[in-house]
Amino acid sequence: MRSLIIVAMLTGACGSTGNAPKDAAVPTDAAVGGPDASCFMPPLTTNDEIINACTTAQKIYLNPSLPLLNADGTVPPLP
Amino acid sequence: MRTLVFLAAIATGGVAYASGPLPAEGPCANTTNLPNPVYIQCGDTQANLMLNLGRALRANNPPITLIWVTAPSCNNIDLTYNGGKIGDGNASGGGTTAKMSYVPSVAQDATWQPSDGAATCDLAGPTTPDLTNSALYNTACTTMPPPSNVNAVIGPKQAYVLAEPRGNAQIAITAEEAYFLFGYGPMILASMNAALEPWTDMGSLFIRKIGTSTLLAWAANLGMSDASKFKGTPEASSLAVVGALENASMPTAAIGLLGAEVYDTLRDRLQVLAYRTYHQYAAYYPDSTATSRDKKNLRDGHYTVWSPTEWMDFVNGPTPLNPYARYVLDLISGLDVTDTGLAAPAFDAQAIVAAVGLVPDCAMRVKRDFEGGPLAMYTPPESCTCKYESVVDVSTCATCNASTPCASGVCRNGYCEEF
Repeated sequence: MRSLIIVAMLTGACGSTGNAPKDAAVPTDAAVGGPDASCFMPPLTTNDEIINACTTAQKIYLNPSLPLLNADGTVPPLP
Repeated sequence: MRTLVFLAAIATGGVAYASGPLPAEGPCANTTNLPNPVYIQCGDTQANLMLNLGRALRANNPPITLIWVTAPSCNNIDLTYNGGKIGDGNASGGGTTAKMSYVPSVAQDATWQPSDGAATCDLAGPTTPDLTNSALYNTACTTMPPPSNVNAVIGPKQAYVLAEPRGNAQIAITAEEAYFLFGYGPMILASMNAALEPWTDMGSLFIRKIGTSTLLAWAANLGMSDASKFKGTPEASSLAVVGALENASMPTAAIGLLGAEVYDTLRDRLQVLAYRTYHQYAAYYPDSTATSRDKKNLRDGHYTVWSPTEWMDFVNGPTPLNPYARYVLDLISGLDVTDTGLAAPAFDAQAIVAAVGLVPDCAMRVKRDFEGGPLAMYTPPESCTCKYESVVDVSTCATCNASTPCASGVCRNGYCEEF
């Protein structure tokens, strides 16, 4: 399930090129900006900007294989 | 015989080095031994706060005795909103419980420590609470507003985590994985060729019962509108989840829901998964690293599974019915206690709040309006970030005093706070 897990301890992580390593897995649910999106610098105004704000905190990139996801990456209703 | 030592030792993460026998069980209404009582019904994630704050308050001037029982948050709200009593036989009043917990005073046990656990006393009969607590937004349990005789205050924030036995190889999980795991369950997933390794055993999912903040917070954050669909074994308490994880027959498949302050006392025995919420690029721990205790990601919005604690006391118009209960509510919530007519404490209540894994409002930089709701930036009236970090980790802020002013910011509690 975990085809790729990259643990990134990034110090002063966020530059103009973003905090995702070049070989980072494509987040299957990354609806904003795509896999190469930069982290967001202040001012942060939306939820998605806040949760993806630049940070020096420990990051873990995941690429789970989830066959039950909808085509648009959303989750289906519960059975 | 301290019957609660073992469980309390689990709760506080230490071995039960009994410092001496706890006081013999007696009536809670003994105001000589238990002066100025404040009867509390709170969520079980608040037990460590009760132990630590309870000890400080026993030595306070005036001394105050916290006498508490834990119950699911929604039960506590129901009890509060509907005039219930502790031990009245209804589920909202803690069932038929007649035993309450309290912390012995220095005179009763000079060497008591939180790892010794709580002493117990007996209720004479159903008792009206003075102070109640939910560990999530009350609106997650009821659409009713608080009645006019209830003063509800948003208190410190707490994270909820997905925990597993220490040593497991898994280090992170996505919201989508957690949604499928707990919403469908391993059996259905396997039948649909969508098993989530290593979480393939239905019997290794340890959750909480309906009405608990831990379950409802996770359900809300995962987008599960019907929390009753949560798959797993509903455990009766946070400590039962801890025990289930530690004794799981398939440890590598074991995963359970806990409050972060419960986990924080058990880091030598459990570990938590970093969590990536919907639309997020990476997974994060509640803290800035797996081993830190700074709750940085909760405070700045990178870790999204958190709730406020709400604290409620009873009023007659603007006047609190029990000034000691209001005093405790104010202490926990970081408010001015002197409006109760009582002196400010000689101890730092917010340091206790921080040390047990809760985050004071003054250290928060994000907010939300309802359980699992979107985050927005937040600026508290006065920052305590430097002081908070000095308690839980290491502060990098400049220190200050009357003769050493801050180059920038505001000197508060010995640190140059941002504002």
